[in-house]
Amino acid sequence: MRHSEAELRTWMTAGLDGDAAAHAELLRALVPLLRSFFRRRMRGEEDIEDLVQETLIAIHTKRGTYDRDRPFTAWLYAVARYRLIDHLRRRRVSVPIEEVEAILVTEGFEEAVTARVDVDRLLSGLSGKQARAIRDTHLEGLSVAEAAEQARIGQSDVKVSVHRGLKALAARLRGQE
Amino acid sequence: MMAHDPDTNSTERLIAALSADVPAIPPRFIGRRIALGIAGGGVVSIGLVFALFGMRPDFPQALFGFSFWMKWAYTLSLGLIAVAATVRLARPEGGSLRMLWPLALPILLLAALAIEEMSRTPMRDWLSMWLGGSWNRCPWRVLLLAVPIFLGLLWSFRKLAPTNLRAAGAAAGLAAGAWAATIYCLHCDEYAAVFVLTWYSLGILLATGLGALIGPRVLRW
Repeated sequence: MRHSEAELRTWMTAGLDGDAAAHAELLRALVPLLRSFFRRRMRGEEDIEDLVQETLIAIHTKRGTYDRDRPFTAWLYAVARYRLIDHLRRRRVSVPIEEVEAILVTEGFEEAVTARVDVDRLLSGLSGKQARAIRDTHLEGLSVAEAAEQARIGQSDVKVSVHRGLKALAARLRGQE
Repeated sequence: MMAHDPDTNSTERLIAALSADVPAIPPRFIGRRIALGIAGGGVVSIGLVFALFGMRPDFPQALFGFSFWMKWAYTLSLGLIAVAATVRLARPEGGSLRMLWPLALPILLLAALAIEEMSRTPMRDWLSMWLGGSWNRCPWRVLLLAVPIFLGLLWSFRKLAPTNLRAAGAAAGLAAGAWAATIYCLHCDEYAAVFVLTWYSLGILLATGLGALIGPRVLRW
């Protein structure tokens, strides 16, 4: 069932005054709204629930930025739109191998990862070869050729290991949220 | 319909977890948070003025003079306009930098004052009036003092939700620069309006540009 702006706003305002039950009521009511908001804007189904959850967290942690005198849904969809843009930006990690390096540079993937989780813990989930390849090329700053020589494997092997490793990491990060 | 979907269950669990911690939010939260960040950074900047440059020796007398209040009126009005813009850009619905147009008023007033002062000064003294005794240090010092205030604002933004990160970074840089210039007045004994208009504004502009440059990186959430 759909809730009116007035209803949502009443819950939001009560939540801002410290009413936990109203806050839970609000978040529950927002789930279907957010699902259809993201479904209309995304092709596949797979990331919808992740986005809904990320947005619920953002609504919770940034609720202080809602001004009690302004329309609630405008605030809500502004938050959802920002989460969507940020999500698409991060998701572009799984792309053809030639573009990986360029995107890593422009998107600041390492920074994003470092900020979110402890790198060592994250890399420990990968195979030894993948972890080493990522560490050498993206944390230690070695070139692909240098990394290949040190690990005594081929350059294409390094590239493939980095690519597969990053893909696995991205999948794990999505799973954690 | 989707009640037994594992995703749906985890969303339900997430909602329960989030609702376990619902502190009350005071009204005008954004304004308070930004004021607190600027004040915190400002205390550090004032400390820097005392430690690095020292208070101007004639400070008590300067409080009765015109030029001190002329400078403060200029930097404070820029600071207040910048804070208003920062508050707006800290909301997800955002705003645009066009709301900075009131800046034109203090800038034009100071420019008028500068012209009036110069018209009363012989032309051969214009250069020394413009450069003062510290033109090459002033902008950099203002920029240096802006750093702690900008860091204070970054702390503020951790609980805020800008969506136009470049504009929010520029507004925060402008606010940091303008308040830094206000604090720098404790040390600086330059008196000419044309000096303030050029070199103070340049320092503030540098802080604004730096904020715009790093905004997208440091304000992401």
